[in-house]
Order: sequence, then structure tokens, then C-alpha cells
Amino acid sequence: MKVAVVGKGGSGKTTTSAIVARTLGRRGLGVVALDCDTNPNLGISLGIGEVETDRLVSMRENLDEGAEQHAPGWNDLISRFGTDGPDGVRLAVVTRIENPEPG
Amino acid sequence: MRVAFVGKGGAGKSAIAGTFARLLARSGRPVLALDSDPMPGLAFSLGLRTSDAAIPEDAVEERAQGETGPRYRLRAGLSGAEAVDRYAREAPDGVRFLQFGKLRGQEPAMMRSQMAFRQIVQDLPEDRWDVVGDLPGGPRQAAFGWAPYARTLLLVVEPMTKSLLTGRRIARLAAGMKSAPAVLAVVNRVREPGDVERVKQATGLEVVGAVPWDEELAEAERRTLAPIDHAPASPAVRAIESLVHELAGESHR
Repeated sequence: MKVAVVGKGGSGKTTTSAIVARTLGRRGLGVVALDCDTNPNLGISLGIGEVETDRLVSMRENLDEGAEQHAPGWNDLISRFGTDGPDGVRLAVVTRIENPEPG
Repeated sequence: MRVAFVGKGGAGKSAIAGTFARLLARSGRPVLALDSDPMPGLAFSLGLRTSDAAIPEDAVEERAQGETGPRYRLRAGLSGAEAVDRYAREAPDGVRFLQFGKLRGQEPAMMRSQMAFRQIVQDLPEDRWDVVGDLPGGPRQAAFGWAPYARTLLLVVEPMTKSLLTGRRIARLAAGMKSAPAVLAVVNRVREPGDVERVKQATGLEVVGAVPWDEELAEAERRTLAPIDHAPASPAVRAIESLVHELAGESHR
């Protein structure tokens, strides 16, 4: 199963995604939760906490600064840019908070 | 006064910005309200029934050969002030409204519209218009690229974890900008005495306004009415009135 959650800001996308992911995890499925939001907060709603969420965000940002290598494939991406959350859900942050004032 | 509202999606930027613009206009200021969110919401909070106040395609031209500056600009002979006169919608209390991020026509519109919009705002004499902007949610760079006019960013923050974290991210990005504007926090949906302090602690910002949780605002949304028209005496609208007074008292904003 591959689902994506979309909607207006503040409508509850992140909260819904987290509860769906953890519910599937509790049923014994292997779940990867991908945070594709430019304002990545999924870690908070999954219960991973602010510090670990920010760590993943910084790692993603280090890619752009060249301090981190791109993952050549899915498995490597999930292992290097991910972290284990409750109910066996693996979270990976795949977007970045962009820097202001591009050109 | 030139302010822009930023914050997490759903934090209440549009409702506060629209009410703020109307109240500022009532105090006698000429107000231009700008929606630069591609998912427009400000029009409804201003009391307009349509969100269509885009710049027409033929008002924007590609720059001529040999000309310097951005790739697109207003067509030759059209000043920013004229563009406002022609294309901005008239909202209640005399507020003029432009929606940016859209352009009426066929072109892939975003860049043309952005550049024209930026030029309009740059062109406007500062003593003639107060500007109140409503920016897209979240810490996207676009938010800052689209509000070079803002002297003050008003960061709308709810006293909840994700909103606080987003607020901190935006405050951090704003502090790193070349022309760093002042950033002040407006706490929205305040329910408990500790809420304002929570925002102060999490963002490190000065709190310039606190808008209480107000069921009347939710009702205004359900009925597609501007908060100020639906519930002019509600606690939330009163709180936004205080915010207007607070900021209008300091002319450098």
C-alpha cells in the first residue's frame, strides 16, 4: 500500500498521516512514513520528538551543503535519512526547509 | 506601515491579516492588502466574495533586449500606482486588494506574476499606501522572496508544538535574511494564561499581540463571512484592533 495525504495548511494532514502510519504499524505491517512537507513536522506527530525530528531535517539540509552524500537508492535513503519510531514505523525526511532569498 | 503575516498553514494568518487590514483602513489609512498565497484565502477574510484579483496577462511584459532588471516587468508606461488603481479590487472600508501568484491568462504564470507584483509594491510611494500582506504557510523560501516590501513580519503562532516549531524555523530563517525585517509574534487561539509565555519561550520573539480562541471566528469561516462583518465586537476582533493600535503607534513598522 502506498498512500499520500494532501490538503490545506492546518487541516490535519500531518496528524492524520501519523495516526494512519502507527495504526498500520500496530497491525504488524512494515511502515515507512515519508515527510515530504517543506515544513517537516511528521516526527512530532509520530511521537519521535522535536530533537530527533530536527536531526533528520538537518541531515537533509546537509545534502545541499555538500556535507552529506545523496542516497543512491531507496534502501540507503531509508537507512541513512530515517529513524525508528514507535510501533515499528520508520520515518524519513525527504524535503528541506529552503533558504530564504534565492537569487 | 508595511507588514506581512507569516506562520504555519492554518495558524490563522488570513483571518488576522484581513481583519487587520479592515481595521487599519477604518483608522483612516489607505490600505493595500496583498495575498501572495497561491491558495488564496485573504479575500474572504476581507469581506470579498471572490478571490479573483489577479493582474491581467497583458499588464506584464518580458523585458526588452538590452534592458536590465528582472525578466518580466509591468508593461511600459504602467506604474505601480496605476496598476493598483486599475487592477486592485475594492474591499469594504476602502481596502484595495491584489492577489498575487496568479495571473489571468494562459502563460505559466507564477514568475511573471511574482515579478510584476514585486515591481508594483516597490513602485508604490510609501507615504501613500500602507501594505498588509498575507504569505503562504510554512517556512518556504518563497514566503520571504515574496515579501521584500515588509518592514515587519508578523509571525502568527498557535501555542501548540507544531506551530511553535514552525514559528521557530521561520524566525531563524528571517534572522538570516540579507535585509532582515523585524519579526514580531502574534499568538493566536489563546486559551490558557500560559499560552503567550509558551510562544515567547519557543520563538524567542517579542509578542506584540494575543488573539483569544473565539468560536465566532470559526462561525465566520463556516458562513464565508469576514470576521469583522460577522462578529465586529468579538474578543478576537477586539484583540486584532489592539494589535493595529500597537503597530500604528510606531510609524517605522
